[in-house]
Amino acid sequence: MNQKLQITSEQVGDSLVLVPLDRVDSSVARDFEDFLDARMQEGHTKLIVDFSKLGFISSAGMRVLLINAKKLKPSGGRLVLCKMRAGIREIFSISGFDHIIKICDSREEALAAM
Amino acid sequence: MRVSEHFSERFNVTLQARLRDLRNLAEMVEAFGRMHDFSQRTTFVINLALDELITNVLVHGQFEVDVEPLIEVELAVPDETAILVIVSNDVRFDPTADTNPDTDSDLLSRGIGGLGLHLVKSQASRYSYEYTDGRNRLTLEYDKP
Repeated sequence: MNQKLQITSEQVGDSLVLVPLDRVDSSVARDFEDFLDARMQEGHTKLIVDFSKLGFISSAGMRVLLINAKKLKPSGGRLVLCKMRAGIREIFSISGFDHIIKICDSREEALAAM
Repeated sequence: MRVSEHFSERFNVTLQARLRDLRNLAEMVEAFGRMHDFSQRTTFVINLALDELITNVLVHGQFEVDVEPLIEVELAVPDETAILVIVSNDVRFDPTADTNPDTDSDLLSRGIGGLGLHLVKSQASRYSYEYTDGRNRLTLEYDKP
């Protein structure tokens, strides 16, 4: 069984839209962190993570998002999340992440927030 | 990963210390949830609990020198409640104790310690913990799954 991180990326204007597929659980959180680090090393500072194809994320995956949002902020970059399913949106709310990372309903709204 | 008992009524799985078993386990929960008409939310929060708790044991759990790490997972649906039981043979650790996660600080000072267990507890209808015969036993209940 393939348990590697599955993620696609697409440049839209000056933002890079990342679409992780299926699951970002503890077993792939490190790969997710490495992937985001590599995009930042390439010079991308406006990152959107589109959750529309993501059925599951654990606190290990949320930690990666938090770390990268922190890394981007001092340089004026930004991490915006969008299109979360209700269950995932709920744990981001319980965690208080929705107060520190912008979460949008649509990709268009996320692009406009950049 | 070893599966026993009748899958249609309950499932009982014994895991070794491998994070890669989590995905197989998640697929079993999804199949079991479809069989019992679990809501998408219930399947999600049960898989969240398994990911957080099993990862906690595998990454942070301490085991006696001569103990082979083992984790047993049982999921059943008697009546209108899904009951998830996770048993592990690491040294005593109560995941129901208050973890005081940081949910208020601003972005740059925000920490994430204890968040996973906080999420697990917040999503369960009830939970309980006991330590008997050298094993940690956590029971999580989800009403109207």
